Amino acid sequence: MTESLTYTVAIHGSPYSTNAHQRGLQVCQTIVDAGHGLSRIFFYHDAVLVATATTVPPQDEFDAAAAWAQFATQHPVELAVCIAAGIRRGVLSEAEAKRYEVSAATLQEPFELVGLGQLIDAIASAERYLEIPA
Amino acid sequence: MKQIIVHINQPPYAGSLVAEALDTAMVAAVFEFKVSVLFRGQGVLCLLPQQDGQVIGRKTIDKMLGALPTYDVDQLFVCAASMAKHELAASQLATDVTILQPDQIAALLQQQDAVVGI
Repeated sequence: MTESLTYTVAIHGSPYSTNAHQRGLQVCQTIVDAGHGLSRIFFYHDAVLVATATTVPPQDEFDAAAAWAQFATQHPVELAVCIAAGIRRGVLSEAEAKRYEVSAATLQEPFELVGLGQLIDAIASAERYLEIPA
Repeated sequence: MKQIIVHINQPPYAGSLVAEALDTAMVAAVFEFKVSVLFRGQGVLCLLPQQDGQVIGRKTIDKMLGALPTYDVDQLFVCAASMAKHELAASQLATDVTILQPDQIAALLQQQDAVVGI
């Protein structure tokens, strides 16, 4: 058994026009399968679009949001979406929709909006930081 | 103090990528990381003078770079090989940066606790 490490993973690419989420899921699965710790996955840049509740992936195509949600039910991991990157791209929680007086909240569970500081905090507290580029 | 380097390898106005990466640099500095920024590949174009992002409705990147020292982010590095590839001389760069050779970049990255890219 090799040494167990704690990881933070960040996903940067769009869920539809890049393969960042497929690759990210494989990386995260490999991390937990190897017995390492993974407590927070951070979505930044266009990767935040994965948390949009109002997307309808075709039935025969990869559904990134569902795949992450399933991963989060199997492992105690936080799916953290950058709030600044999110609200610019239309990903708003009930609270943010109220705050900015827009007509709809679009964030789907189990994703949550967090500050960019949460990424920095996760990087500071983990032993390894891995990033899936845009 | 933990060290973090923000690695910028995208051109300044390829969407919001560089602006959002610089946001990360500023937040990391607020969280008391020692933050530096490395420009490589097309990222070297971020260092050119007289940019005007307004023309295409974007934040002006060299203005954002100018604000970095306010956040105590004052260590900016650029890859010599990438500059050569883009036929850029040191005198053409608007921002005060340290030019590094590939082996120096390797050593710099080695020192970091984390590398944040785009």
